[in-house]
Amino acid sequence: MRRLRIRELVRKEFIQLFRDKKNRPLLVIAPLVQLLVFGYVVSTDVRTVTVGLLDHAKTAESRMLIDTFGANRTFHISYATDNARALESRLLKREIDIAIKIPPDFTEHIRRGETADVQILADGSMSNMATVRIAYAGAVIDRFNERLMAELYPMRMDYGRIDARTRPWYNPNLYSQNYFVPGIVAFLIMIMTLLFTSMAVIKEKERGTMEQLIVTPLQPSELILGKTIPYIIVSLAQMIAVTLFAIFWFNIPLAGNVFLLFLAICLFLLSTLGMGLFISTISATQQQAMMTTFFVILPAFMFSGFVFPIANMPQLIQWLTYLNPLRYFLLIIRGVFLKGVGLDMLWPQFSALTMIGIVVFTASVKRFHKRLD
Amino acid sequence: MKMLTIRAVARKEFYHLIRDFRSLYLAFAIPLLLILLFGYALSLDVDNISTVIVDFDRTGVSRDFIRRLDASAYFDAHVHLRNADEASHYLDRGWARMAVIIPPDWTNSLRADREAPLQIIVDGSDPNYASLSLGYMTQFVGRENRRLLADFLNRKGRASINPPVAGQIRVWFNEDLESKNFIVPGIIAIIIIIVGAMLTSLVIAREYENGTMETIRSLPIRAGELLAGKAIPYFMIALIDVLVAVLMGQVLFSVTMKSSFWLLVTASSLYILVALNLGFLISIVTKSQLVANQMAVLITYLPSLLLSDFVFPIVNMPTVLQYVTYIVPARYFIDILNGLYLRNVGLDMLWPSYLVLIVMAVIFSLVTLVFLKREGL
Repeated sequence: MRRLRIRELVRKEFIQLFRDKKNRPLLVIAPLVQLLVFGYVVSTDVRTVTVGLLDHAKTAESRMLIDTFGANRTFHISYATDNARALESRLLKREIDIAIKIPPDFTEHIRRGETADVQILADGSMSNMATVRIAYAGAVIDRFNERLMAELYPMRMDYGRIDARTRPWYNPNLYSQNYFVPGIVAFLIMIMTLLFTSMAVIKEKERGTMEQLIVTPLQPSELILGKTIPYIIVSLAQMIAVTLFAIFWFNIPLAGNVFLLFLAICLFLLSTLGMGLFISTISATQQQAMMTTFFVILPAFMFSGFVFPIANMPQLIQWLTYLNPLRYFLLIIRGVFLKGVGLDMLWPQFSALTMIGIVVFTASVKRFHKRLD
Repeated sequence: MKMLTIRAVARKEFYHLIRDFRSLYLAFAIPLLLILLFGYALSLDVDNISTVIVDFDRTGVSRDFIRRLDASAYFDAHVHLRNADEASHYLDRGWARMAVIIPPDWTNSLRADREAPLQIIVDGSDPNYASLSLGYMTQFVGRENRRLLADFLNRKGRASINPPVAGQIRVWFNEDLESKNFIVPGIIAIIIIIVGAMLTSLVIAREYENGTMETIRSLPIRAGELLAGKAIPYFMIALIDVLVAVLMGQVLFSVTMKSSFWLLVTASSLYILVALNLGFLISIVTKSQLVANQMAVLITYLPSLLLSDFVFPIVNMPTVLQYVTYIVPARYFIDILNGLYLRNVGLDMLWPSYLVLIVMAVIFSLVTLVFLKREGL
């Protein structure tokens, strides 16, 4: 191995990469746009619930119930009507999230000491948000019941009740951004390295310049290093930019150690660069390479726990996710960002990432060698 | 426009497609895979929340409480730990999502009619999971409290008191509140984008990169004919994919389309047209397969995943992005899919979305044609 040869190849690669005007937006703008869009979009938080209201009772009690909803910051009563069909059509048009119907005999039931039913219709099309909305509505009704019971039954009512004091850790305000933005960083790195490494080799093949490279005194290992080093540098630069953006633009708290993050990135790059090289050995054209990249990225993304919790998957697929380097990298990056945990907690992920990286990279390099000989 | 020319181009493009097994894979296997994956493996539903218990109280009452918690479908609470430190280790490592800490003297407080605090720590890093877990926990504790109130009234020898109001909850459109009911239809939109836009974004760029665009220029073929010929194979494949997806959703996952089948076919065809033209446009403008592919991901794939109300609600987005979603075709298609699959509505309610898709299909076709003409065809 000669340092000089590798250096020259790296230089050539950089010149090629940046001379093509169309590459520049891909390298700089695409990651930032993706980070911005992802960062702002991926939120399934229920911050407001729009309510449509139908009050057939129109009594002090029904108004008290409505006020209890109105006083809650989450609920926003946007529509009130006397017509049940009009209310349902609002729900059908998705203009309201839930519809509350108070029946005419609402107050009579309460006065008689019976339970009055209030109908709550919820738009279930986004099931999780609907579940949260329903839980919120239930909590408001519970509060209303407490108030009303204190009025109706003035005798001592302090029974021994459970007071659930809930505390979310790591992300106390439950902001979606805090969870997703670090994940996007991982995802972007994967796309860029996979695609650009395989392309760098394939382009030489397609243009026939691979033959020229082979007849030069370059050795296979030098060729591999020369082809991967530029993308290691580019990825690290992108990673740093994107991480800074996440911290300073999105104000994602970084609870843990930056250097640990850096180490994890380097280990992760080993896997992705290895896969990129591997793709280049099994593809003949750019089109093929891109499609193969797509096949690799799609399952890697779906089965990493990025959006869909791994615990929800069937057992067999849960085992398969252990082979996915993105899974470990996500655990590390989220652990470092949100939980602030260190190597003492994350060593299983780090060792798995190292092992997968070494296996994938050596296998690809071997295959690449064979192809060149 | 000559039918013969169009047919010839279509045939050539078709051969290209079936001779490259990867394109074929992308065209047929990826859609099947997506439906299978989303139907079987990927779910946003939250159940069996892994919960660790620290019980300092250790009485029959606290043990009964834990047993009921574990028995509910939402919680999986059989791991008992000795102290809060251990619980925090479990949370740090991600082995548990929730910790329930029952303080000493808990039962005594309950018996003495005092408030008995229960400490619940939830891993908030995934806010969706956390807020659902908290919601289920609140419901569970609410039920427990109702039971305690009934006990209290019994002990005091009072007649039982009914809670004044009960919310009768009825969920519309997705009665079982399962995420697959909106995710499986949404996959149709993703499949169309993959087959319609991602595959076609390479088609014309390939001609440029291989130098065959010169050959095409010299042929007696017009821009419209070339476009139509290239579009036909992809249109057919995309439509077949849609039908397969609909069928699989119905047979394997019992996600049933409630409204008219032809409305779905019309909407899909319109959306395929939009996607195809977007793909061609990207291909013509970039003239490079790598750049075209990346642009296609950026302009078509990601917006249809992110800015379409598919998984991530538009109302939660910043206002600027909400405006941006109006020009995302997927938004209208997802609206139609939601209407046809979940809400069982017809054209009377969905016509605006249909209209927008028609307008978009026409505009994109014209723009693509103009761009192709400018290339000298």
